[in-house]
Amino acid sequence: MFKKLIEKGIEKSPWLLHINTGSCNGCDIELVSVITPRYDAERMGFKLAGTPRHADIVVVSGPITSQSKERLVRTLAQVPDPKVVVSIGSCPRSCNVFHGSYSVEGPLDRYCDVDVSIAGCPPKPEAIIDGLAKAVEILKTKRRGK
Amino acid sequence: MNNILQFLFYILIFPGFAFCVVAGLLIAGIDRKLVARMQKRIGPPILQPTYDFLKLLGKETIIPRHAARKVYLAAPVVGLLSLVTVSLFIPIFNFSIFDKPVADLIVIIYLLTIPGVALIIGGSASGSPYAGVGISREMVAILSYELPLVIVLLTIGRKVGMALDGNITFSLKAIVDYQAQYGPMIAQWSMIPAAIALLLVIPCKVGSLPFDIAEAEIEICEGPLVEYSGPPLGIFKLNHAIKMFIMTSLFVTLFLSGAGTNFVALNVLIQFALAVVVTFISISVLKAITARLRVEQTFKFYWTYPTALALLSLVLVWLGL
Repeated sequence: MFKKLIEKGIEKSPWLLHINTGSCNGCDIELVSVITPRYDAERMGFKLAGTPRHADIVVVSGPITSQSKERLVRTLAQVPDPKVVVSIGSCPRSCNVFHGSYSVEGPLDRYCDVDVSIAGCPPKPEAIIDGLAKAVEILKTKRRGK
Repeated sequence: MNNILQFLFYILIFPGFAFCVVAGLLIAGIDRKLVARMQKRIGPPILQPTYDFLKLLGKETIIPRHAARKVYLAAPVVGLLSLVTVSLFIPIFNFSIFDKPVADLIVIIYLLTIPGVALIIGGSASGSPYAGVGISREMVAILSYELPLVIVLLTIGRKVGMALDGNITFSLKAIVDYQAQYGPMIAQWSMIPAAIALLLVIPCKVGSLPFDIAEAEIEICEGPLVEYSGPPLGIFKLNHAIKMFIMTSLFVTLFLSGAGTNFVALNVLIQFALAVVVTFISISVLKAITARLRVEQTFKFYWTYPTALALLSLVLVWLGL
């Protein structure tokens, strides 16, 4: 029964950590609109955490620049298990228009396993909420598999 | 034997651990819902803090390499224990677990400081620079709210003591008896400034928005909690919720109490409902309409307005009004 209660908690209270790895701020603003009154993802329990130690879902936006690569890997290592990585926008998938730049070392799946990837430049807030809901499902299966 | 069982019941279930946890998590949830409704959001379900706590129990605990392991893990538990102890001393209308006066307001002042100190010790044991900034801010917060809090409690002690024997009393039972006889303390006009001062102290004590300088998420990543994860973080969040209930319940006992009804369960319900109202006035409204103050602004605010209000009440009471 205790296990079931914890699973319920994991389903209802996923905390997000947002990492910007050289994004143009477009996706960041869409993410902000997800957690502010218009879309209010807090009603599903989503909350922005200040530090990687508190996070369950890591949201990455932007092509991985060479400056942010090392920081990204170090931050991801600090997140306690179970954790899920979600990429927002086209940049972490394919580097988008920044592909081939001398300072871009993406895409994201070179450095970690990406569980959910939300497409769009930038994706709509509805799409982000949908992706986060899928991420919660993956979080639950990861907790069960442990 | 029977006596021991009874005390175990008091400590573990009511009005101790289990009751505190349930009431605290409920009050924290109601507060989040109220703030959300005031910001025109739907808001999280009322059980949201409970879900957060359960989730944190199921997460991995990471202990940083530079942390002092034992202190780091013990600090949240010490805070929780002291809060549960406070809840044993606060009478709920005419219900109190001690017949004789064993503990008074002075013990409560000391015990209520311990969660803040536990936060400081836990943060400094984690060895993070963000926690260093956070604990220095927490110390400033404790310095700022302690002064008006002590003056308010002194005022109440003087008011009740004058009616009893012309002296000062700090017995909580005497305070409740006084209110049963003369009506709630807030009905005395000379006590209204003290009540406002205590309402202003509560948000800083529980670390909610205009005064959450120690746990500023955006500036210093929740300060002392920056390295905590998993169950210890969950216990810190639980401390936060219980502190909210204890402080509002203490306000109800000091200012809105009285004879109550003959049924303990009904009394508890009334106490909880009044605590929710106090939470709404002093925590939720302030949280919804203000932004975070800077460290020195908090300090200046508490040593001017709430202190002045509390002193005004103290002078009025000393003059016999």
